[in-house]
Amino acid sequence: MLDVTLIAKAIVYSISIALGAAGITLIYTATKTFNFAHASMVGWGVYIVFTFLYFYGGIPHVYLPIAFLFSGALGIITYLLVNRRLIMVKASDINLMMSTLGVDLIYFAFLNIFADYLMYTHKIGIAKNFVLEARDIELNVYGANIKLTWIISPIVLVTVFVWLYTLFTRTRLGIAMRATIENPELAQLQGINPDIVYLLSWFIGGGMAGLAGSILAMIFTGRPSIGMETVVTFFAGSIVGGLYTVYGSFIGGFLVGLSEYLIPSLLAPVIGSWIYSFKMVIPLIIMVVTLLLQPSGLGMLIEKVIKR
Amino acid sequence: MIELNPIIELIILNFSIGLIVTISLNIEVGFLRIPQFGRLLAVIAGAINVAAIPGRILALYLGLPAGIEYSDHMYNARIVLQIDNWLSQNPLLSVCIFLFSLILAAIIGGIIGYLCAYPAIRLKGAYLGITLLTFGEILASIAWNYPHLVGGTTGIFVINPFKFIGKGVSSLITLTILAIAILLFIYSELLARSPFGRMLKAIRDSEVAAEVYGKDAVKARSQTLIIGGAIAAVAGALWTFYTGSMKAATYTRLTWTFWPWAFMMLGGVGNNLGIFVGVLLFTFTRIGIILYKHQLGNILPIATEWLEYILVGLAIIVIILFRPQGLIPERPTLTLPRQDIEIIKRKAIESSDTETSQVR
Repeated sequence: MLDVTLIAKAIVYSISIALGAAGITLIYTATKTFNFAHASMVGWGVYIVFTFLYFYGGIPHVYLPIAFLFSGALGIITYLLVNRRLIMVKASDINLMMSTLGVDLIYFAFLNIFADYLMYTHKIGIAKNFVLEARDIELNVYGANIKLTWIISPIVLVTVFVWLYTLFTRTRLGIAMRATIENPELAQLQGINPDIVYLLSWFIGGGMAGLAGSILAMIFTGRPSIGMETVVTFFAGSIVGGLYTVYGSFIGGFLVGLSEYLIPSLLAPVIGSWIYSFKMVIPLIIMVVTLLLQPSGLGMLIEKVIKR
Repeated sequence: MIELNPIIELIILNFSIGLIVTISLNIEVGFLRIPQFGRLLAVIAGAINVAAIPGRILALYLGLPAGIEYSDHMYNARIVLQIDNWLSQNPLLSVCIFLFSLILAAIIGGIIGYLCAYPAIRLKGAYLGITLLTFGEILASIAWNYPHLVGGTTGIFVINPFKFIGKGVSSLITLTILAIAILLFIYSELLARSPFGRMLKAIRDSEVAAEVYGKDAVKARSQTLIIGGAIAAVAGALWTFYTGSMKAATYTRLTWTFWPWAFMMLGGVGNNLGIFVGVLLFTFTRIGIILYKHQLGNILPIATEWLEYILVGLAIIVIILFRPQGLIPERPTLTLPRQDIEIIKRKAIESSDTETSQVR
């Protein structure tokens, strides 16, 4: 049944999905590249937090910015080495997607090599199977036990959202980014360098994948394949959000994550506990239904409501 | 019966299965540019069919439990063993069961392809790719989580229709798979040269122009998905027959969707000879890595399975960056042999010459 822990965990999970989905959407809107490498970037986010926590101690949340920077750097590498050239030669949608798949395989291999390195060279037995939740700090607020993650992750979400919002509406750079997303040729005529815009969106998008991963690590067991396993939910979140507005995919990802976590718990007393084993199917069904009924996603719906 | 060297058997098996899946992918992606990132869907449907249906039918016929007990790991091995023993005394029936399973797999794959046509007609590009990928994940997740279908996480054993020959069963299945792969390759080549194949390429290159000439793009898309789905399901069915068991965990989008994509992109999209070469190259590389695992392990400080990932990833990136048309680029398919076309051309020129001379 529903209790506080479950709801709190559901919200933390949804926040992670929302951040990841928004990252995918940001990269897609700017460069028209659907980023498969998000899976490994999420995985790297998990491992950065784990490694720093293991060697320097302290509380896991301190290392969130480092995870952001590292995965952002992975995004920059992807852009400079692969994506940039493909955008210049105007490669097809499928080729852009497939190239990030190649990048994903390489990052995934290196992530596993890194985990092997931690395990065999540094003799960290838990390097491929660790629970960061145990390192979380429990606070006692008016007699209720609250984990620090439950407070930190909404703060992270709101911070990132507000930061992106101010970036896109209040700064020259953000407005230049929006202009490039709308119409690259016209923006170039105005003296905006699309190269910097693409680079920045890969950095922010990748960084958000890292943040998503490090928040995910606080509720799930960490392992190298964690990104591979959850990435389909991230895809679902960004498609439900509409794949063309970052704000929409925040909402889409949040809804998908929440329903994946809460619907089985709500239905289990009614139709039996077998529903738990179909947890993975729920976000995918939501996504398919959205695609078939409202292909432009939630973002479009929300925009319509606002305009009215 | 003949018994192959295990290494040669491994090479033939990997090559043949890879070729079948890549052919099915090439028909959809190469001929019509459907971003089929859900190849896993039809493959796993074929595998589930082989694991769940023929065994249950025979169990019913023999009066063995065929319901939930069939997929229960407590009973499954014993039931399958009994069926196998009975089948080994009926060679003709065994072969019929084998063919029946393959045909059923093809039908199921075709139905899945038809269902996939619903989104494929409405969506394009990345949206469609991700939707198809998701379909595959849904079925894999159901096969993994629902224990009464194919045993869920523990998996189930699959009947062995070749037990009657005694020794060398796996070699015979491998050679059968190779034969089917070659047949499908010839089919795909004929398809590319047929009016239907040329229509697909016309729609791929310019949908509007093809429609102007009265070609139904929507119908062509669903037909292509049906053909591709049927072939991919046969690949899944054959693989399940070879391994003799069905474990949902071994059917991942990486091995059944992304690697065939890599084979196809390496060889050349839309070109049958190209995908043949692509699958061959990747097969030898993978088997080479497996064979020289220890030697490589001494030189390189990493586990060799990650070397495979890095190589496949690098191959994909390098191909897309520097040679997007693949090793063997697609060439216009000729309906007749080149000599015949030359003769016709010459005749046409001669007749036009005589016509002009008559006018003079």
